[in-house]
Amino acid sequence: MKLSILFIFLFATLSSVSQTIVSGIVTDNKDNPIEGANVYLDGTYDGTTTNENGEFSFKTDEAGEKILKISFLAYETFSLSKDVSALNNLKIKLRDDINALDTVVISAGTFSAGDNSKISVLKPLDVVTTASALGDFVGALQTLPGTTTVAEDGRLFVRGGEADETQIFIDGIRVFTPYVPTTSNTPTRGRYSPFLFDGITFSTGGYSAEYGQALSSVLLLNTIEEPDQEKTDIGIMSVGAVLGHTEKWETSSLSVNGAYINLAPYVALFPDRNDWIEPFQGGSGEAVFRKKLNNGLLKMYSAFEFSSFDLIQEDINFPEGIHNKLNNKNLYFNGSYKGVLSNNWSVFGGLSYTYNKIDFEVIDDKIEDKENSYHAKFKMKHHFNNRFKLNFGAEYFSTNFNENYNNPFINEISYGFKNNISAAFTEVDVFFSKNLALKTGLRLEYSELFKELTLSPRISLAYKTSAKSQISLAYGNFYQNPNNNILKFEQDLNAENTRHYILNYQLNNEGKIFRAEAYYKQYDNLIKYDTEYADFTSNYNNSGTAYAKGIDLFWRDNKSIKNLDYWVSYSFLDSERDYKNYPITATPNFVNTHNLSVVTKYWIENWKSQIGMSYSFASGRTYTNPNLEGFLNQKTKSYNSLSLNWAYLISQQKILYFSVNNVLGIKNINGYQYADAPDINGNYASRALRPAADQFFFVGFFWTISEKGTDNQLDNL
Amino acid sequence: MTQIKQLIVIVAIVLTGSIQSQTDYEKAMEKAFSLWEVEGLTAAEQFFERIANAEPNEWLPNYYVAQINSLKSWEEKDANIIKAQLDKAQTFLDVAKSISKDNPEILVMQAHIYTNWVVFDGAFYGMKYGATISELYEKAYRLAPENPRVVFSKADWGYGSAQYFGQDTAPYCKEIEKSLELFANFKPETNFSPTWGKERAEQVLKECK
Repeated sequence: MKLSILFIFLFATLSSVSQTIVSGIVTDNKDNPIEGANVYLDGTYDGTTTNENGEFSFKTDEAGEKILKISFLAYETFSLSKDVSALNNLKIKLRDDINALDTVVISAGTFSAGDNSKISVLKPLDVVTTASALGDFVGALQTLPGTTTVAEDGRLFVRGGEADETQIFIDGIRVFTPYVPTTSNTPTRGRYSPFLFDGITFSTGGYSAEYGQALSSVLLLNTIEEPDQEKTDIGIMSVGAVLGHTEKWETSSLSVNGAYINLAPYVALFPDRNDWIEPFQGGSGEAVFRKKLNNGLLKMYSAFEFSSFDLIQEDINFPEGIHNKLNNKNLYFNGSYKGVLSNNWSVFGGLSYTYNKIDFEVIDDKIEDKENSYHAKFKMKHHFNNRFKLNFGAEYFSTNFNENYNNPFINEISYGFKNNISAAFTEVDVFFSKNLALKTGLRLEYSELFKELTLSPRISLAYKTSAKSQISLAYGNFYQNPNNNILKFEQDLNAENTRHYILNYQLNNEGKIFRAEAYYKQYDNLIKYDTEYADFTSNYNNSGTAYAKGIDLFWRDNKSIKNLDYWVSYSFLDSERDYKNYPITATPNFVNTHNLSVVTKYWIENWKSQIGMSYSFASGRTYTNPNLEGFLNQKTKSYNSLSLNWAYLISQQKILYFSVNNVLGIKNINGYQYADAPDINGNYASRALRPAADQFFFVGFFWTISEKGTDNQLDNL
Repeated sequence: MTQIKQLIVIVAIVLTGSIQSQTDYEKAMEKAFSLWEVEGLTAAEQFFERIANAEPNEWLPNYYVAQINSLKSWEEKDANIIKAQLDKAQTFLDVAKSISKDNPEILVMQAHIYTNWVVFDGAFYGMKYGATISELYEKAYRLAPENPRVVFSKADWGYGSAQYFGQDTAPYCKEIEKSLELFANFKPETNFSPTWGKERAEQVLKECK
């Protein structure tokens, strides 16, 4: 009896639960039904899949207030909290997921390499497999449109801007002295080894309010967050050797890397146009330590480098040549913390310190430059939702520069300056829809040196015109204090200024990218002086102006031909300046009207080899011929160079690498030097400025030793 | 006597109750597997997703959502969808990882997801994930040297690389042979634990010979 009651009771509990029907229809924001969406009550197994009409209907035993969830790939998950009895005949519109890959991206001015960006035109590996680049990240970026070919310099000249108008940042923190010093006829290289970075963003204009003190361009390098395995890398090259090791622990890792370069054997084998007393030699050590903390990541990077050379260089005014000697010591430290706070807040703090000492000797002059600089930055980000993000922060730059000048005929003099700048910035990212996005910000800077406050607004807008294409617009106002070469002589000045206007079109079709960008840049407050060279006796003012306008085109395709990846860049640049000691407005000597680069990479399966080619063409650059009327009145012949490389994978861990720059041995001319005084016929004698060597050969063997042995240094080349 | 009966009944009810709450999950998992067979991947995926949502302490439903998305990406042509599928697989596998740490089955699935990225774009993801995949297999092997999926997947990856570089594939074939023995004797921990891989191992072994 009792038993049966119990059974009845039990039975009743099981079946007496009343069932409710949950039903409705799911569409996108254009009322098209969505088929296959997952509809369910959160925390239960009850649910179903929408049919071809977007309809759903299912029974549930649940009662009371429940959360109905609807999820579908590429849409934001929908949630509705209601009493189950009210969950019927629903009409639900799913919103596009702004994080989805086909969302519009603000792309004006920006080239990205990496996988975190939806608009990557380059992959991290490209930086090191581009034939002409010789493993230098700057060299690889010179194959992108917007850069000009100043072959003897090696730094980045962007859209009619001088090289020092481009600033380089590692993990968001400024690098004050990014380039290795070289002789005047040899291109420089970036100091930092490319395989430390897994993300590179190169902006040729219109960049975010987070970045300042750059008139033309910013280059953002991000160090690898987590190395993939423990390994030892050994590299033996025709110009030196490299050794690296990575050690991993539970939550941290350390990579150290050392390199020694000595060009003595190379120049003994292939003499160049310099008369070397002591050929270039350099040593560097780098270490990166990363530690994962509970809610964030701490990275510490430091690099030490020394380099020296001693030579006699040809000069039209000194038949015996000019003696040039240089010693450089450079120390760089960069530490940053990136973390997540609660409630969609994230925080970033970083600090960099640079010590740079250069001793030069030029004939009888002895000059010693010392720079101590640091940069501290703090920023916060609030992610209100996928459609609205706020970023703000503050930073402080400090440069302390001192120069000692020593000459047998005068007493030693010492001079310098302190250039301290504080800045605050704020920026919002707004997605109105998957097709329309806006980024706008404001940057405020105060220069202690000039007691000057500057305000720079920035705005960019992107609109998706079709599934594969988009247009972007950008405007920005940028300030930068004059460089060390001016500030060491005169500090009563103002910041130089430029404004960028950019229109960008981008088509991205599965392995094929086409970009076209038109821009106009207006420069104001450029420094002018009234002597041949900037020195103590010069009178300086901020009355200089300039403009640059042009079109940049980029095409990349790695799909059409199997195993072939290639890109073509073309830039048209029209720029004139009235600055420095220019008597009139003229096109400066670092501007090429036409620049073309073609880079190809072909993988030959049977040979386990990648063959790379890069070709660059640049129209002539201006120079002043004193035998004729006018200023910057002539142009050199155009520049041409074809480079080849071959990377051969001997095994998974061993790579043999060859490269030749300027295979055809084309005799390029970078400009002309004229005698200070005319000869008896009233003619100024001239000398062509040629590169130290027309060609450069490189052979290297790279070996990676790891526990498993599948990693190699292809990304080291 | 009746008291004893009563006791038995009560015990039975308590037991049924506890079994009942377990069978809810088990029933659901069974249904998900039958959906997989009858209605296909998407229906099963969505059901696993619901189970994953309702059972925050079970790694298996998350694991299967990851596996199904990983499998689906093989059939897909649209690059945007492939990326979204692999991202979804990763999201669910991350949840599985947070529930069950150092689980060799999850490590193998992680290696498979990365391998799919490599298949999707070898030039880029090969460099990015190549070494990580090897490291995952090493770690899984240290944890479970007798798990057939670990042994097979590790050998399969090694076989592929050796073949590519024209090196001797024999040691990997031997390992695959060994994995088949392990498959034959494998006892899954639960009714819903992963059991896949045998057919693929047989197929690769055929290529070996």
